Amino acid sequence: MKWLLLLLISLPVMGQTLSENLEKKKYYYSALNEFFLETYAKEITQAHIERLEKLLFFTGIELLEDYDHTLLEKYPTSSTRFILARRYFHKKDYKKALEYFGKVHVDHRYYPEALLLTAQVHGTKNEFKQEEASYTSCQKAAEKEEGKADGVKIKRYYRMIYEICLTNKARRLYKEGKFKESLDAYGQIPKQSYKWPYIILEQAWAHYQLGDYNRALGLLVTYKSPLMDTYFFPEAEYLTALAYFKLCLYEDSLIVINQYYQAYRPRFNQLESVLKKNRNSQNYFYNLMFKKGADLGKQEEFVRNIITRLKKQTRFSLDFNSIHKINQEMKRIIKNEKKAAQDEFIDHLAAVKENMISKINYNAKTDIFNFLETVPFFSSELFKVNLEVLSRQKDLVYSNRKLAVDRARGDYSNVKRSRFEQFWKFEGEFWGDELGDYSLGLKSSCQTVRMESAEE
Amino acid sequence: MRIVAFLFSFYIIAEAQGQDQKVIYQYKKYEKFDLGNLEVKGQLIAPGDISVRERDRKRFELDLYTRKDFDPFIKKDIESLR
Repeated sequence: MKWLLLLLISLPVMGQTLSENLEKKKYYYSALNEFFLETYAKEITQAHIERLEKLLFFTGIELLEDYDHTLLEKYPTSSTRFILARRYFHKKDYKKALEYFGKVHVDHRYYPEALLLTAQVHGTKNEFKQEEASYTSCQKAAEKEEGKADGVKIKRYYRMIYEICLTNKARRLYKEGKFKESLDAYGQIPKQSYKWPYIILEQAWAHYQLGDYNRALGLLVTYKSPLMDTYFFPEAEYLTALAYFKLCLYEDSLIVINQYYQAYRPRFNQLESVLKKNRNSQNYFYNLMFKKGADLGKQEEFVRNIITRLKKQTRFSLDFNSIHKINQEMKRIIKNEKKAAQDEFIDHLAAVKENMISKINYNAKTDIFNFLETVPFFSSELFKVNLEVLSRQKDLVYSNRKLAVDRARGDYSNVKRSRFEQFWKFEGEFWGDELGDYSLGLKSSCQTVRMESAEE
Repeated sequence: MRIVAFLFSFYIIAEAQGQDQKVIYQYKKYEKFDLGNLEVKGQLIAPGDISVRERDRKRFELDLYTRKDFDPFIKKDIESLR
């Protein structure tokens, strides 16, 4: 059967292998499979390695994620070494991970990502100098590859790597307690970046650590903008309540807590019920990603916001792109090839496609589960803030005192800003260019005065 | 055997008679105390002023969470790539 196929497909160019003919016809996914079948039993030469790299350039490495370890070891390309290194990294075999990441060629397209993960390995081992050096190299390599890349999407991928390396540097500084330096590093990430909505929370924490609660609150206000409605983090709500608490603005803190319980608890319950119902489904979350807004129930709207966030991930783009390319290949084979060839390749492609769909579905499901896992923790922390607010208010009553400042309105004099920052009043409207630069001007109410009794 | 049966029937009769006897406990229905005639030995002292020493209330502060690092975010970023 196979020989018959070979004859049918390779009739125009005799002397070529089946995989070569498939590659020539741009059936890259089918060619890749055939390539492994043809070469696995043979001694691997440089020509094989180069050919495999060429095929993987078109197919991507996503479909190799499930391939057998021994098979990948047999082909010493930068791509396969990168996959193996990632496997070792996830298994926490850091020595092997470093060894394999080190084998990825400097000019290879995965080199910047390999450096990012190398830095991460050093970070896990508390080797801070090596970690920082790797992040710097990662930024340089990513910029270089971005400059070489043609397509917008590929450029965006390298920009993302660059920004993750930069963000991780800022995170390292935060961990070391160098909050100002950390903010400087965060400040280098442009607002147009995909990472930017996520780092607002991190910047707010850094300001909080510096005692600039107004700036922390201002940053967190950004999440209330209509442009950011898909970004909801329980941690941001917690930090808001905590910052108000630190300013002794207890009423404001309680408002945030009540709002959280009233507005978001039902949504979390909805999300949980959606998850439970479809826990074992192989494609529910995948299909949900392509469901139109109008087709979604009201309870699913919150789920959709999370899904929108997931769709912006590089991982989703890569996986979905693979599915798209596999679909295209299947269509072309059905259209152009004879029945025997169709039977041979379509089944394999359908299986690969199914595998990718399951992968996207699984990733979406685990991301939502991970998000949900943060909810009970911050709900409980908010409850603690609530208790602490009540305790402080009770103290004031018992000691016959009241807060010195009424929280009537903020004042410009309470806004801390550098000489490079301008000041504009908030007029109830969010402006795109202002997002992330807000600061509240609230005065701390932490001083108390003794209350005068009516008789006095 | 006859002797045993006789003793046993005698025992049953005695038991039956024992159950019929009801013990009634009766408590005092009324008791009178003449408080006027009661004498209490000791000194009669009334406080002239009621005062409580002022002291700080014990305050229990909850350990509120503050983020120490962003390690979980780093992990998530890596996972979001592929």
